[in-house]
Parts: sequence; C-alpha cells; structure tokens
Amino acid sequence: MNRIKKVIFLSLLVSLGLALSIIESSIPVPFIAPGAKLGLSNIMILSTLVVFGFKEAFAVAVIKSITFALATGSFSGLFYSLSGAVLSVIVMYIIYTYFNSFFSLIGISIFGAIAHNFAQISVASIMLENIMIFSYLPVMSLVSLFTGYFVGLSSKLVCQNLNRTYVKVFK
Amino acid sequence: MTKWDKLLIIFVVIASLFGIFLVKYSAFNSGTKYVVIEVNGDEYKRISFGSNMVGKTIDINTKFGYNKIEIGDERVRVIEADCPDKLDVKQGWISSPGEVIVCLPNRLVIKIVAEDENDKEYDYLSH
Repeated sequence: MNRIKKVIFLSLLVSLGLALSIIESSIPVPFIAPGAKLGLSNIMILSTLVVFGFKEAFAVAVIKSITFALATGSFSGLFYSLSGAVLSVIVMYIIYTYFNSFFSLIGISIFGAIAHNFAQISVASIMLENIMIFSYLPVMSLVSLFTGYFVGLSSKLVCQNLNRTYVKVFK
Repeated sequence: MTKWDKLLIIFVVIASLFGIFLVKYSAFNSGTKYVVIEVNGDEYKRISFGSNMVGKTIDINTKFGYNKIEIGDERVRVIEADCPDKLDVKQGWISSPGEVIVCLPNRLVIKIVAEDENDKEYDYLSH
C-alpha cells in the first residue's frame, strides 16, 4: 500500500514539474542572454531529493525531461535537457549528502543550476564539434545565480510543507 | 542562507566575470576577420568582409533547416530562420573574433575568426 502511495506521490511531483516547465517555456525571460531559462521544475526535483532521496529524484528528473519532450514535441532538445537533468541531480545529491552542513538549499540549487548549464553546453559543443560554445558558460552561470537563488528559496518553502504532508501520508 | 552560500555566490560572480573578461580579451587581438558558417560540425562557407559585401544576404539551405544571414560592415547577423525559438535572430549582430551565433535546431554555427585562430582556440580550456 505504501509503495502505491509513493508511486502516486512521485507521479504527482513529475506532473507538477512538467506543468512548471510548460508554463515557464511560455514566459519570455527578461535577460540579455538568449537561451536562459528560469528552471522552475528544479523546485520539484530538489524537493524530491530532500524529502524522498536520490533514486526518486533521479527518476522524477528523467521522466520529467522525457514527458516534456512528448508534451512540446521538441525532440531535438531532449538530449540537452536530459543531460542537464542527470548531471544536476547527481551534483545536487553529492552536495546535499556530503556538504549539507555547509550549504543551504539555496547553495545546492545554485550548484544544480550551474551543473545543468555545464552539461548542456558540453553536449552542445560535442554535438556541434565546436569548443567555442564554452565561451557562453560564464554568462549562463551568472544568470543561473539569480534563478538558482529563487529556486532554492522556493524549494525551501515547498520542502517545509511537503515534509508535513509526507508524515501525514506515509506514517 | 549560510556563510558558505554567500561565499559560493561571491566565487561564482568573480569566476564568471573573469571568464567573460577572458573571452572578451581573447576576442580582441584580431588580424583579418572571416565569417565561418558551419553546419553539423562541417564547414559550409567562409566569407571575408569587404565593402562590397555590406548588406549582402546569404541563404543557408540544408537538410537541417533554413537560415538567412546578412553581412554588415565587419559584422554579421541572422535575419531569418525556420527554427522554433529564433534565438539566433534575436541575438543580433556579432562582430569580434571569437563570437558565435548558434542555432541548435538547424545545427548551425556562425562564428567570426581571426587569421591567427589556430593556437587561440585552446585558450578556452583554461577556464
């Protein structure tokens, strides 16, 4: 019974992340850098990591990327978002488990955002066979500071509420 | 927000500003400039600037998509594209060596290179 509850709970989190991604893709980002995103779905992934654990967060991140490609039909972007999601979850997990006493969720989310950008730019430079694309990384990491800060702040609030719900549902 | 969070933010700001500065700096020591158009990693066309080229447009029609670029006075931009987000069009003009316009859906990279680019490309590995 608990397992079914968990699957339902996780799929709810995936659909929330998917909804946030779709809403976000229709918001024009008021930054100079083209290609910059808010990364709102990272709120859901980070909260899953904190409340459930690494395996569940990894599953949510990967399924969210695939369903986003299915929902929008942009399969050329699937590889980029998938690589970014995988690397950012791994980095956030490492920071969360081993450096939890140093960084709050804000720091973890900034790490995740930078890892996401790094993975995407690496994949882009491999696919286009052009290392010059890395000159874009400093601009992106500067932007990801702001987005990472607000994502971390909001996932802190989400986690507080989610932990309360988690106790009610599973205990 | 812990002390380490603030340190991280300060570190990232400094590192990114340094990186931007490095890109800008290494983009300035220019010889003769070219526009190099690459599609799917292969060189598609190489254009040198000149007064007779100002205002000229070039169509790039490949199996990956369609883009139209305009050559200006020592600068270049994309004016038309069939990709969904049109980020390459929104980026506008690029002019200094090292700058790139990328259109991922059409696998297109437009870059400006200076004559002595061979040993320059590896500068980017350092940051």
